[in-house]
Amino acid sequence: MDLFQLREQFSTEGILMCFNGPFSHSIIEEMGTAIRNHLAAENITRMAVQDVFAVYIEMTQNVRNYLSSHNIRTDDIGSATVLISRQGERYAVSSGNVMLKEDVAALLARIERINACTPDELKKEIRRQLRSSTAEPGKGAGIGLMEMAKRSPAKLEYAVRDIDGRFAFFTLKTLV
Amino acid sequence: MRPLDIEQSTSTPGIRFDAAQRVLKIWGESYPENSFEFYAPVQAWLKEYLSADRTLNLDVNVSYLNSSSTKCMLDLLDTLQEAHEGGAAVTLTWRYDLENPRSLDLAEEFQEEVSFPFAITSYQEEKP
Repeated sequence: MDLFQLREQFSTEGILMCFNGPFSHSIIEEMGTAIRNHLAAENITRMAVQDVFAVYIEMTQNVRNYLSSHNIRTDDIGSATVLISRQGERYAVSSGNVMLKEDVAALLARIERINACTPDELKKEIRRQLRSSTAEPGKGAGIGLMEMAKRSPAKLEYAVRDIDGRFAFFTLKTLV
Repeated sequence: MRPLDIEQSTSTPGIRFDAAQRVLKIWGESYPENSFEFYAPVQAWLKEYLSADRTLNLDVNVSYLNSSSTKCMLDLLDTLQEAHEGGAAVTLTWRYDLENPRSLDLAEEFQEEVSFPFAITSYQEEKP
């Protein structure tokens, strides 16, 4: 593999950080700290740093919860890809992971519903969901995607690609 | 009252009860691997405390809460609200860095959920 070429590609695409591999809480933590340190050195507000960080946390914890709650092995097929890139004045946080094909339609419908919300509707829906969800170990509050959308001036972007009969590869991108 | 003292880590807040002041402090950042598991003992402690003692100030200085921690914090606030409605003297102080307006937004949203005294105070973090 030509690392120089890979590096050139990263640089053309404005990629600041990329992770690909088995995913754990400690990796989420370590990479989060690295992202913050990196952004703190750039000339942006602390609020922008916090927003990128928050989107990154919600996104990666969603992926991790999904993979672990579905017992998808995290060594090979269940590894995840996370990418932070600079896009003009903004930052893009992206993730890619395998999903069971049967779960794809519901997720896409959910993203479409969130994308159709105004900021005010989103706020109300987050509150409603916070109130209706019950605290269960091993589960999130079910508002991660909405928290990402709240911090983004753009729609959540996604793509799905077939892997085999059982799995699809899901990519999500949030601009902050 | 049994003591409560949880050490702060990168993704979990420090939580400590000061018995002399009757203050329960929560500080740091909150995005644990499993928020509900992390907050369950805190919630249990709080319920036990409020069943015996009727005075408590919750002092929060948490710069970031992920979505599941937000849910857990709301559950703690609900417990305080219940005690308040039962006549307990519960108060909350929310501290946030002026450069972190998201924390103010969150505090204001929490404030709307409860009716006990809820103070929001800002501070300016010193630049290194």
